Amino acid sequence: MLDAFSRAVVSADSKTAPIGGGELAALRNYVAEGNKRLDAVNAITSNASCIVSDAVTGMICENTGLIQAGGNCYPNRRMAACLRDGEIVLRYVSYALLAGDASVLDDRCLNGLKETYIALGVPLQSAARAVAIMKASSTAHINETNTSGTNPVETRFRKMETVQGDCSALVAEAATYFDRVISGLS
Amino acid sequence: MKSVVTTVVTAADAAGRFPSQNDLEAVQGNIQRATARLEAAEKLAAGLDKVTKEAGDACFSKYPYLKQAGEAGENQVKVDKCYRDIAHYLRLINYCLVVGGTGPLDEWGIAGAREVYRTLRLPTAAYVEALTFTRDRACAPRDMSPQALNELKSYLDYAINALS
Repeated sequence: MLDAFSRAVVSADSKTAPIGGGELAALRNYVAEGNKRLDAVNAITSNASCIVSDAVTGMICENTGLIQAGGNCYPNRRMAACLRDGEIVLRYVSYALLAGDASVLDDRCLNGLKETYIALGVPLQSAARAVAIMKASSTAHINETNTSGTNPVETRFRKMETVQGDCSALVAEAATYFDRVISGLS
Repeated sequence: MKSVVTTVVTAADAAGRFPSQNDLEAVQGNIQRATARLEAAEKLAAGLDKVTKEAGDACFSKYPYLKQAGEAGENQVKVDKCYRDIAHYLRLINYCLVVGGTGPLDEWGIAGAREVYRTLRLPTAAYVEALTFTRDRACAPRDMSPQALNELKSYLDYAINALS
């Protein structure tokens, strides 16, 4: 497993060159934006259960066949497995975002995931759709652009109340990790 | 490659939980110290060739017998290899400064070094002398800020202790 710093070291070692100027600038940026990154990870972890259940609910609403007899989210046992897998994917994305590198996601989550799902008969398209919804809501939580939705009396709506700032780079980075999962599943 | 972030993530993954507040605080502490580390890494990278030359010269002037026939520096090719090895250690220290841990030195420098030097009949005292000279030669604020120098010296000491 690598993070942003050890990734720089491994690539410099392959050239047997010390790390200077250009590479250090990127790492200095990681350091300077460190607090934003930690807030972003916190935005995901603090809302994890909301993000996961929302994604699985959305996936089922779009394809109600999943919870009818014979569907892949029927009965509760398989629905629970689905929620658990959503949480696992989100957890590895949060690790990758903390590390600033996708290697932990690749090595420990995506490696063999597609093959496992095919063997178990899990519909890849539905799984990818749930991840796409997690991507949308996670990036909204990081950017604090999440809204209460169409229900006027929504009581579970929550904003993180962190200091406002430009988080576009982190949002884009988090989005690439979700995209990585989606492309790994398709 | 071991670093604060990978250690934190490995522990969280083993427990199957999301990164906790403690984890985020640990990473935050690492980030706060990172500025000095990266400064030291940059200055060391910029002066790597010069530092290597001075360290190697110091080593051969303390142990002139190394250039006699049958010794580790008996011809120019072998002398060049000595300088290359010193540059190698300094490069690994540069990596350690970037990562914020001894991982690169441990994995690529120290693991197996004793066996290799014994097989090749190389004196580790010469490397210790070169690294000690570098440590004592570096000074703040001429070379880098005091905090950065502190970080650099701690890794030089780590390498010296491992080779002693």
